[in-house]
This record gives sequence, C-alpha cells and structure tokens, in this order.
Amino acid sequence: MMEIDARGKLCPLPIIELAQTLRSIETGSEVVLVSDDPATAVDLVAWARMTGNEITHQEKERFTIRKLAN
Amino acid sequence: MVPITAKFQSESALHPAALALLTTLFERGWADPSKLHQDSRRAAILLQEARASFAGILGVTSDDIHFLGDLTLGFHLGIAGLLRPEHVFTHSSVDRQEIFAQSHAHALRGGQTQTLPVHPNGQIDWSSVQSGSIATWQLANGETGVVQHQPPPEGHAYFVDATASGYSHPLPVNWSTALWDSRSWSGPAGLAVLAIGTGAEWRNPLPHLDPLRISDSFSLPLALASAIALEHWKSEEAVREQQLRKIRMEIVAFIRDRITDVDFASDPEQGLTELLSISFLYVDAERLITELEARGFSVDSGSACASLNLQPSHVLAAMGRLTHGNIRLHLRSDLTDESLSAFLTALEEVVKQLRQ
Repeated sequence: MMEIDARGKLCPLPIIELAQTLRSIETGSEVVLVSDDPATAVDLVAWARMTGNEITHQEKERFTIRKLAN
Repeated sequence: MVPITAKFQSESALHPAALALLTTLFERGWADPSKLHQDSRRAAILLQEARASFAGILGVTSDDIHFLGDLTLGFHLGIAGLLRPEHVFTHSSVDRQEIFAQSHAHALRGGQTQTLPVHPNGQIDWSSVQSGSIATWQLANGETGVVQHQPPPEGHAYFVDATASGYSHPLPVNWSTALWDSRSWSGPAGLAVLAIGTGAEWRNPLPHLDPLRISDSFSLPLALASAIALEHWKSEEAVREQQLRKIRMEIVAFIRDRITDVDFASDPEQGLTELLSISFLYVDAERLITELEARGFSVDSGSACASLNLQPSHVLAAMGRLTHGNIRLHLRSDLTDESLSAFLTALEEVVKQLRQ
C-alpha cells in the first residue's frame, strides 16, 4: 500500500499531500498517511466528510484512507 | 503598508457615545464610592445608577451585579464560588479555556469533573450529565456563534457564560451566576459584569473576611462608560441587526456561489448574527490572513498555524469541523457595500491563489 510520510509537516500540508496522492490512485484503493501534526486527526475527519472519502483505520500517527470519490 | 479598509477581528473600538464622555466620567467618577465625602457620595450615586442600568438590560436585579476589572477573575468567582469539593463540575467541550482551567483546578483538589461532547452542529449533548452537577451554560459560542436551542436541563446549578452573547440572549431561569464581557457591547476592555443570583449558594472562593462580598477591583469611570455603551448598543439593535443580517447573507451567498470546499463552522442561517467562522480546505490560514491583511482586511483565525501554541481551535475540533484554513469574521454594521465587495473579491482571489 502506498504510504505518505508527512511527519514534521504542519496543517494543511499533510491533507494537501494526501489529496494529491489520491488523484493518482484508483477509486476503492487505500493509502496510508503518517502525520504527527496534532491537527491531522481532526482535519481528516472533516476532510472525509467534505470530500466523500473514508478513513478505514487509525493507529497513533498512521491513518489509512480509502478513496471513494474523485 | 496597505491601510486596513475593513476590520473583521473580534476587538472593536469603544462605542463613540462612551468615548465622547470618557474624560467627563474620569472627572466625576474618581472618588471611592464607599467613603462619606461629598465626591464619594456623588460617585456612589453614579455607580448605583450604572448598576440599575445594567440590571434592567441584562435581566437581573441591581443587587446581583458586581463589576470586575478582569474577565478571567469573573470565571473564577462565578464557578469556584459555587463549587464544593463534593460537587461534580460539568462543562462542555466547546467552553472557553478559562472554564477548562476551572475544571482542572477542581480535579487537582480531588473533585470530580465531566466534559460533555457536542453534536456536529455545536449543540451540547446533555444525555450523560450526572445529577446535581455544578454546570456551565454557554449562551453563545464566541468562536462559532452557535447558540444553544434547548434550555439547560433542570436539577443543576448553572454558571452562565454570556461573554460572547452580550445582552442579546436572556439568562435561563435556573441560573446561579452569570458573566458578561463589556467588550461584547462595544464597551471598554478591562471590565466584566458578574451577576450572583439571590438564591445561589455562592461563597467567595478568594481569601476573604466576609464570604458573601467581592472586593471592588474595577475602575468606576470604565463601568460608567460601559453602561453608556450598553444603553446605546441596545437602542441601536434593530438597525444594527438588519444591517448585519444583510452583510451576513451576502457573504454566505458569495462564498457558496464562488468558492468550493468550504466548511461553515455553524449553520449560517442560525446563531449570532455578527459572527461567521469559515474553513477553506487545503488553505494555510496563516498565509490567508497575511494575504488578506496585505489587501487591507483584518480577520481572526481558529487554525493551529495561526495560533501561538500551534494547537487547532478546541471548539472546531470538538465539533468535527475543519480546523485548517479557518477565518473568523466579526461583522460590523458600518461596513460599506464597497468594502464588503472588495473583501469578497480579495477572499476569492487569495483562496484560489493559495490552493495552486
């Protein structure tokens, strides 16, 4: 699975990098975002709601996201 | 530097009617109202009149009212004065930091505390509240403008946080203590109004000789200036609200029409008319604010990158709203059509530019 290492980067960079990566993958597939920015966990939930994508798993700084929309 | 043509930040200038009288108030209100000199008696009368004026507009009695020179002290007196070690202190996840500090202090003394969650629309979920709590009730949220729809549940004693709503939202019937910020009606900073209800089981939590008294730590001229500001603010309400609603609707319509991926922190059709909190996806708030400032517009933000401690707004986080790319617009009724139009054009341009 593709992994985006956004550690050390502050908001909104981790979410921007995630969105850029999603453009290059198929709908239905997953990516992992690694981010230590305290805003990421909260913003991912809002981002998923706004864009229609899904967070399938979270373990500390590792977030698994499934692309459901373009 | 570009001159600022439209201000949307939370602080506003002192109401012109209060500003015009400021020197007079300092000339007349310098004496200690608790003494027996002629000047003191005159000051005492002025203070009594100000108290009556506040009481009438805020919906309490003159005897309930206490003036404070420090808003944070008001949170302490209003909350800790009701709390005993055996009480559960209940507050919500969207309360002000000062209330979290009170909760922390209660826990350090061995007290039990509870933080209530909120729904995505900012309404507090009271389903898990423990009976007989000392609880806080926020009339309106100062970051999102969310106003609670339901009255506070019965069976608890309430500290009411009216610091963001001013006089515009009445106290719930079961209030014990309540706090207002003079700045919310264009009054001077450095003045808070604390009301302690007659039936409240309140004791002064500070070192004291008389448990039912609060030491006078405020400037009488500023209290008088605040009363004048409040009276004018209220008398201008109808016109102001109408203008604010028009400005608000124009901003919301423009953004919905012209900018994509936007998260309004609260339903734009509800809540405080003068406040809009809006987050733009994939936008860096610090750069957004700097770019808007460079074009002559000053705005606030609840985003982490725009705060000193790099923490996102706990209010937006609790509601599950987008915390990055956030701006808070405090609307003023004197905003001209030209300035508003120029601001909206600038906002659209800057958001587009920062997303590239």
